[in-house]
Amino acid sequence: MTDASSIPALDLRALVVLAIGEKPDFSEGDKVRVLTRSPIGHYRVPLYLRGKTGVVQAVIHPMAVDNEEEAYGRNAGSKGFYYRVAFAMAEVWPGYIGSTNDGLRIEVFQTWLERV
Amino acid sequence: MPNAHEHDHPHTEIGQEGALGYYDLMTRAVTELLIHKGLFEAGEIRRQIEVLDSRTPALGAKIVARAWVDPAFKARLLANGRAACEELGITFYDDTQLIVLENTAQRHNLIVCTLCSCYPRPVLGLPPDWYKLKPYRARAISEPRAVLAEFGTIIPDNMEVVVNDSTAIVRFLVLPRRPAGTDRFSEAQLADLVTRDTMIGVAVISDQEPRP
Amino acid sequence: MTQTEHLVKRMANDIGGLPADPIVRSEHELEPWEKRCHALADVLDFHKIINTEEKRRGVEALGSEMVGKLSYYERWIVAFANLLYQKQILHPTDLALKMDEVAARFSSEPTASGS
Repeated sequence: MTDASSIPALDLRALVVLAIGEKPDFSEGDKVRVLTRSPIGHYRVPLYLRGKTGVVQAVIHPMAVDNEEEAYGRNAGSKGFYYRVAFAMAEVWPGYIGSTNDGLRIEVFQTWLERV
Repeated sequence: MPNAHEHDHPHTEIGQEGALGYYDLMTRAVTELLIHKGLFEAGEIRRQIEVLDSRTPALGAKIVARAWVDPAFKARLLANGRAACEELGITFYDDTQLIVLENTAQRHNLIVCTLCSCYPRPVLGLPPDWYKLKPYRARAISEPRAVLAEFGTIIPDNMEVVVNDSTAIVRFLVLPRRPAGTDRFSEAQLADLVTRDTMIGVAVISDQEPRP
Repeated sequence: MTQTEHLVKRMANDIGGLPADPIVRSEHELEPWEKRCHALADVLDFHKIINTEEKRRGVEALGSEMVGKLSYYERWIVAFANLLYQKQILHPTDLALKMDEVAARFSSEPTASGS
């Protein structure tokens, strides 16, 4: 009987077309910038983060509804990706006092990020 | 102090003799109207109160102690916090995910919600008032070391401090460092060392006297 | 920039990085009505009658004076009332009348205060 560990991995990605929106725009390690638009009314990306550059630490799974749309009653549909992004404290706060390695992490929805 | 009123007034406003507080009245009235419309049942509210009462920092402490004694569980916990908690029977009654943040010799984590009060309620219960008020929310994100010092926690400069701001679907739980002197502690004794504040990340657990 | 643009651009709850006082380590056991309010929020979210993000937006929409002066759960229940009106689930008159009815029910009892 064949040992399970000797069976090669099966990768069917070449056979499958992904639907629009199914593939995350960004991956771990990508340098990204938070956009600088100014929504009127509800938003979930704090002002302190606008225009700052960071690095994607992780793609959050599963895909989920945009929380800014959810706030107006959208409970399903049009899901997208949140990204856990790392920012250096010195990048976010001019004159930051602390270690140069100090940082912050925050989840940001895909509509607020662009590749650097 | 501009926001002193936020928590210096009594929480139950007793008006006339025997009268309910205004907001208590409002809560009862809204609830009764919605039940009458058939949108949910009274039993659901009662049950959710029991759910909330059952979620306390003791749950988080047990997760931490298990992670300290079982490296394979710890790896699963760090890979997917929600799934590892569910493995132990801790259900998540909402759609949030959980990222468990390991404190190490190089890195100290703390958690905050600058925009509101997001907190890992399914595993820690309800947050303390200070976590929800302006001083912590405004300052933990921009001067974490000063905030930590106010809690009596000093992180040396050669370690990094990482602040995690929950603004979306992920909640955080800090996995504190296991203190020295605990090699012979039982899992229950280890859990007893883990306080809510160490899982928020504003406190660390002191080294212990080794047991014989 | 106009004099009021900043009020529109920064929501009252967006306080990360603003100057603030030393932390006072206040805690309190929830009042029974606060616990019922929290349970109500969870049940509303479970049924997606009012989801948690809608609640957050509803609290923000109270405006900075109410956000500053009402306590945490007081803000939630007022926000719920407003959201339920917007969704045409409740009418302000119905809630006002029901509140009077509940108040009358309790004031006729010898001892009260929420439980």
